[in-house]
Amino acid sequence: MSPVSLHNFLAVGAILFALGAVGFLARRNLIIMFLSAEMMLQGVALNLVAFARYRGNLQGQAFTLFILTVAACEAAIALALILMLFRRRKSLDVSLWQDLREPELEPIVDEEPLPAPPEPVELPRLTPAGPEPEHPREEASHV
Amino acid sequence: MLDFLSEYWSVVFPSAVGIAGIYLLLPRLEKRYRILGAIIGAAGLLLAGLLLIGSEAILAETILFYSFSGLAILGGGLMLSQHNPVHAALSFALVVLSTCGLFLLLAAPFLMAATIIVYAGAIVVTFLFVIMLAQQAGMTSADQRSREPFLACLAGFVLLIALLSVLQKTYSSTALDALMAKVDAIARAKTEVDLVRILGRPAQNPAGNRSLPLVDEVKKVLPSFDQDKVENANGYWNERPMNVAKMAALFQDIQKHVEHEFQLGSLQPPANLPLSPFSGPPPNKEGPHQLPAHNVAGLGRSLFTDYLLAVELAGTLLLVASIGAIAIAARQREGLR
Amino acid sequence: MFDDPRNYLWLIPVLPLLASVVTALAGPRWLKQQSHWPCIIAAVCSCFLSFLVLRAVNSGFEDFKRYYMWFEAGNVSVGFTLGADGLTAVMLVTVTFVGSLIAIYSIGYMHHDPGYARYFAEISLFLFSMTGLVLAENFILLYAFWEGVGLCSYLLIGYYYARPSAAAAARKAFLVTRLGDIGLFIGILLLWSVSDHSLDFSRILNNATEIDPGMRIAICLLLFSGAVGKSAQFPLHVWLPDAMEGPSPVSALIHAATMVTAGVYLVARCTPLFGVTPEAQLVVATIGGFTAFLASLIALTQSDLKRVLAYSTISQLGYMFLALGSGTRNEGHFLAGLAVTAAIFHLFTHAFFKALLFLSAGSVMHAMGNVIDMRRFGGLRHVLKKTHWLFLCGAGALSGFPVIFSGFWSKDEILADVLEAGSPGSVGSFAYLFLFCLGMLTAGLTAFYTFRAYFLTFWGEVRIPHEAGEHPHESPPVMLVPMAILAVGAVALGLILGPTGVFNDFLQEHWMVSAFPHLLPFKEHHHNLLLMVASGVLALVGIGLAWWMYVRKPASASELAQALPGIYGLSRNKFYLDEIYNAFIVKPLAGFAQVLRVIDLYVVDGIVDLIAQVPRWLGMLARPVQNGLVQFYALLMMLGLAGFLLSVLMR
Repeated sequence: MSPVSLHNFLAVGAILFALGAVGFLARRNLIIMFLSAEMMLQGVALNLVAFARYRGNLQGQAFTLFILTVAACEAAIALALILMLFRRRKSLDVSLWQDLREPELEPIVDEEPLPAPPEPVELPRLTPAGPEPEHPREEASHV
Repeated sequence: MLDFLSEYWSVVFPSAVGIAGIYLLLPRLEKRYRILGAIIGAAGLLLAGLLLIGSEAILAETILFYSFSGLAILGGGLMLSQHNPVHAALSFALVVLSTCGLFLLLAAPFLMAATIIVYAGAIVVTFLFVIMLAQQAGMTSADQRSREPFLACLAGFVLLIALLSVLQKTYSSTALDALMAKVDAIARAKTEVDLVRILGRPAQNPAGNRSLPLVDEVKKVLPSFDQDKVENANGYWNERPMNVAKMAALFQDIQKHVEHEFQLGSLQPPANLPLSPFSGPPPNKEGPHQLPAHNVAGLGRSLFTDYLLAVELAGTLLLVASIGAIAIAARQREGLR
Repeated sequence: MFDDPRNYLWLIPVLPLLASVVTALAGPRWLKQQSHWPCIIAAVCSCFLSFLVLRAVNSGFEDFKRYYMWFEAGNVSVGFTLGADGLTAVMLVTVTFVGSLIAIYSIGYMHHDPGYARYFAEISLFLFSMTGLVLAENFILLYAFWEGVGLCSYLLIGYYYARPSAAAAARKAFLVTRLGDIGLFIGILLLWSVSDHSLDFSRILNNATEIDPGMRIAICLLLFSGAVGKSAQFPLHVWLPDAMEGPSPVSALIHAATMVTAGVYLVARCTPLFGVTPEAQLVVATIGGFTAFLASLIALTQSDLKRVLAYSTISQLGYMFLALGSGTRNEGHFLAGLAVTAAIFHLFTHAFFKALLFLSAGSVMHAMGNVIDMRRFGGLRHVLKKTHWLFLCGAGALSGFPVIFSGFWSKDEILADVLEAGSPGSVGSFAYLFLFCLGMLTAGLTAFYTFRAYFLTFWGEVRIPHEAGEHPHESPPVMLVPMAILAVGAVALGLILGPTGVFNDFLQEHWMVSAFPHLLPFKEHHHNLLLMVASGVLALVGIGLAWWMYVRKPASASELAQALPGIYGLSRNKFYLDEIYNAFIVKPLAGFAQVLRVIDLYVVDGIVDLIAQVPRWLGMLARPVQNGLVQFYALLMMLGLAGFLLSVLMR
């Protein structure tokens, strides 16, 4: 037998799929969620092409082309929708959209606030030495 | 439960280690677990490589396969753990490139090119454009935290071991390795002396006949192989002089059968089902199957005969999707809102 | 067709029923002020048919007919069986004749009332129930019509439903009679159990002696309790004075002439049962006598004319029960025949003169602008001349003025029978003797209070209350003519039917002989001249005393009242019976009802609400799953898939 056979490729496809599932469920940024979904599709495509190779048939590859097409359409629409959602709330957080919950439930908000960004360090400023020189007009145009 | 674990430990253990690493790598407020997570994740990947995909021969194919798949999985792990969406998009591009390398290994050059152009070229770039258009001020809390990391990893873990254990159960031939080693040796034997050395002597088998022990083992472990053909080995043995070529041919048949079955599994479409020949030889016909040499021509023939309707629909879908995307994301005039 | 009464017997109740339905449906909208026509026509036709029945019974008709099978359930088989014998014929004639006259009177009395059609519909319904009651031939049908008359009484007492006092009085009447009706129903059930599961009169009453004596006493007492409720005897008499809230014709019809006599009819009908149960008869007589005395004591001091008449009704009904209870055994004779005859005769004459009295009171109210308090008017014989003479006829009959008035003859017969029962040799003679003395005393008191009311109303100086308007006028002929006919009956009928024995013979021959042959032989009726003289003198003494106290020396009444404040107070306040009932029965029951209400609200409803809350709590448990987060939903889907895969793998 050849050392790399069908089930090796299928295992890699399965691992990519599982990683994509974990990423979709765990990340809160809309962009990264959709990227994870695309990674799941990649795992599936790998599966199909492996089967095509080991059966000696081009059906798997043809199907993968359609997956590619559909992934492109899906990405287009999904990104358009993400843009619209961003315009509403000025944030890509998917947890902001909780309006379809049960009426009596409280919205889920993050409890701990982010650590405050570090204060900009006040660098010491030197006192200017001497009067400010004249700026010739040509120099300004090269900016 | 316990016998499941004992049977599939080589699947469960690396998966557990890998997913634990992923859990630690997912974005969280305390930053100190990332190094630990990276180490554990890498360990899991190595374990998986050793246990699951262990093989004897080192060929160029093996090295390429390991590097591309390792790169793909690393890229996936990177994508999950990045805070910055731009970094995540670039990691995804890495994943796509690795997968394309795997496509190339699988004799799909057109798909490799198409995936690189469409996915890594168009889709990832579109993602980057959207990230540019949808810039958030600074680092938001959304990027720093993850939603239910433990439950998500648990779900992913269970999914992973489900898939991998099914794969192992279907395709794992390690139980047969010793047998197949002997079969392999016989298939390559040239002289009677080798045959006698490997096969040994016929002995009394439980059924009451005198038979070679290897023949019995083959019959027991490979019930799907034609039992009468295996019996012929006993016949060949009794001939003097021994017909080495026929014996070798028989065992080569056994080798090909095992290869066929353990490559494609035992579930095949029934033989009387009329399957189209345009995409290559139909799967229910016997004989060696290989992809056509001209990949693009074959793919084109397959698309425009077997999948013509799907092609047209895909074209329509693309048109509709592009119109829809423009309609959804068009910037409204301020007064009409 | 008119030969066989069975052909038209059913029309007697059905015609008023039809009239009631027609009036109820067509009256308010189309007939309006002509709504009385269906009722009058039906009442007059029923009256005519009742006379035909009387004639048929007189000529020997005895049969009855089952018209319709009502229900059959296991052992019980009940049908609409109507039948007529002597007793029924007499009752029918009384009810329909007096009823028709009162209906004609109502045309004038209720002329301007907006509920005109409702009134005549209810009157017709009452006539249906009452005629059905006397025609019924089995206990269940009797009980059904019993409840029917109770319903009509409620409807008619509460005729002026907008007045709270009228509504309360109607409710009181219904509830108090209901207490008696419970006993009646239990008695009927006991009868059903001991009489081989039949409820026909013929079956039960013919085999009355076969019932076990203890059970017989119980049954008789229970049946009598129904009569106590319906005929307003002590202790259930409290509803009748308050029932005067209804219009005067209603008081005349229901609470004088017909409905309250249903109890008397029931006991009379069950004479075969009572006649062989001397203990029960003693109880009947005692309660009757006691009630008569009590009511006459209360009537002495009432200032409302209709209340005086109401208490006199209670008193006269007491007389009837006294008579019914005097039918004991006396040295081999049974006095039951005499006793029952006396009671029914008194019922007959009482119907006429009491209806006349109530209608006259209505006439006075009509003229005085609905004022009936005797302290507010006086000297009306100069203002309402015809009403005055008619009232005088009724008053004379009620007080038992000798010879010319019918009340004298009927009351005298009763007293004679009680005396007969009190003679040595009869069972419980000492008690009957005591009751006889009580009855004589009551007769005197009756005469006194009747003429007190008469003198207070019609004699003295002329006083008109301001509600009467400018000029109080006499009643129109449509009201006076029925009163006149009743006056003729009050005066003449007693003389014609009483001493001649026509009434007694009729009843004896056409009813008693076939109904209770085991109580033969009857004692022959003979006139006790001494008693007649004594009762006549007593009546005259009462009238004279009233004249002295209220005409000659009007101040003597108030002086006497101040001299005996205790007795005056007791009599005026009806012996505080209403207050006693309120404190000991009504308030505890109301408290109990409150407790039950609390239990119903908090325990029963609480349990139901608790059960209703359970799905809500289950929902609250399940609700947090829907928290609106897309990733949460996807996670649940994935977990579900994971669980499913695991279970498949590990199988």
